[in-house]
Amino acid sequence: MDKLHECLITLHNLVAPNHYRMVLQSKEIATQSLPGQFVMLEVSPGYYPFLRRPMSIERIFSDGVSILYKVCGEGTKILSTLSTGEKINVQGPLGNSFPIPKEYSHYLIVAGGIGVAPFPALVEGILKVRGIAPEIILAGKDFHHLLCEKDFRQMGCKIHLVTEDGSAGHKGLATDILETLDLPDSTIVYTCGPLPMIKNVHKICEQKKWLCYASLEAEMACGEGVCLGCVIPAKMEIENEMMARVCREGPVFDTQVILWDKIGEK
Amino acid sequence: MDINLQVSIGNLTLKNPVTVASGTFGYGEEYSEYFDISELGAVTVKSLTLQPRLGNVPPRIVETPAGMLNAIGLQNVGIETYLKSKLPFLREKKCTIIANIYGTSVDEYVKLAELLEKEGGADAIEMNLSCPNVHDAKNKFKCPLIAQSPEWVEKYTLAVRSSVKLPLIVKLSPNITDITEPALSAERGGADAISIINTLLGMAINPETRKPKLKNVVGGLSGPAIRPVALKMVWDVSRTVKIPVIGMGGICTASDALEFLIAGARMVAIGSYLFRDPLAPIRIIQGLREYCLNNGIDDINKLIGSVIIE
Repeated sequence: MDKLHECLITLHNLVAPNHYRMVLQSKEIATQSLPGQFVMLEVSPGYYPFLRRPMSIERIFSDGVSILYKVCGEGTKILSTLSTGEKINVQGPLGNSFPIPKEYSHYLIVAGGIGVAPFPALVEGILKVRGIAPEIILAGKDFHHLLCEKDFRQMGCKIHLVTEDGSAGHKGLATDILETLDLPDSTIVYTCGPLPMIKNVHKICEQKKWLCYASLEAEMACGEGVCLGCVIPAKMEIENEMMARVCREGPVFDTQVILWDKIGEK
Repeated sequence: MDINLQVSIGNLTLKNPVTVASGTFGYGEEYSEYFDISELGAVTVKSLTLQPRLGNVPPRIVETPAGMLNAIGLQNVGIETYLKSKLPFLREKKCTIIANIYGTSVDEYVKLAELLEKEGGADAIEMNLSCPNVHDAKNKFKCPLIAQSPEWVEKYTLAVRSSVKLPLIVKLSPNITDITEPALSAERGGADAISIINTLLGMAINPETRKPKLKNVVGGLSGPAIRPVALKMVWDVSRTVKIPVIGMGGICTASDALEFLIAGARMVAIGSYLFRDPLAPIRIIQGLREYCLNNGIDDINKLIGSVIIE
């Protein structure tokens, strides 16, 4: 299986201040990709930046995939200057994917800021597998940062908007809404966003006895499990504590396997 | 023209002079999804210790100009799991295996080497005497590396040499005033080859938080940023000792690899650049063959140490 592809950039748009969507043309990546997987982009042909940049797959099309990213450093700054029609080397798809078990009756997504990135593909996946549109708590700093709202509406999702400054929807945090939701026991929750948010989503789900999957972000060098740079403390199926690779055992984890007490702040 | 790419380390013949640096290739499984890993001169596996190790607390890596810092801390499955679950894959692929070992005492190195020899776990052993990321907890930033003491290098090498017959490689640190001293000690101790260089100690700080970017505070620098330093050390050591040198440090292309061979390395290892391009070793092997072909060189050994200094 070939995982290195020279892809044509067929679309590259500013979608919010500092946030871009890029569509990468590749039938091979498209046909292999599953919701929750990621790609590694070679943002520059030179040695600065030296490493590729990991990006969640936002949507899977018939002849390519899209990514949604926030400019937050040198790599993404360079990435944002690339134009439609240019080519970029893409490695992927990588990592595991969101499980979509059929025995659940309710699917809920909690997305914070750019953490929304892997969810359009997941919504489409759930629609395909279960024919049910998930409910979504879409949270951001302000109304500019509520990404993909239109897409989710078109997919038929029920949406709760949350902003920290109150410029749209509920003023506060995503978890404020999550706590108040009265959902059936057979609810499954998917989350991605800032780590403190994920941790709180996990706590609430534990209380409510909802299964919760989180897509995690980590600094990584290889994306393939050899550098051991992106690890998190976890207890996987074997009893032993281990350092799980976000790129290989993840990026999607059942939040119960993560050893939250052992994750320090950066 | 038939071109010979074979080189030898001790009594071991390798199909070409290209291997991978320990810790950048796991135990071969991941990158075998990209290419036939038996095409490498050898697969050098992640450092093995007697007991499994969890490694350091993250963040463990940070990107730097033309390179990266790492403080993984030798996370590995341990020798037992390696022999049981990792080795069969490498053997099935018919790889030549260099097993990198790390111990906290002479005895541990000897035990690891003996186990590997007894169980057929390696075709050569590389002693990691130079990992910068494992510290004595009481003396976190001052703990010397074995490779910083020529005396210890000789003692450790000799002990392992006396216990096993497998070709023995000693991996040294660039964090030293004169790397030829421990290199000579390794030779006296009976090493068959010297691997240089391990990573250079480095540090990065986030000015916003004033905190080091690595949880371990310091780490090892690798990537093209260190290539000229590595090359100079390879040149120094290969003129000083009679045993072969395996050169590594920021090699990305065939041209980089050629620099090391011409400076005096008998083999080269690709490290961090694998993270960027998993196919780099294959491109380099191909590039070496093309260079020989274009320059009328029928044996790569003729290139080794052929630097012209006017």
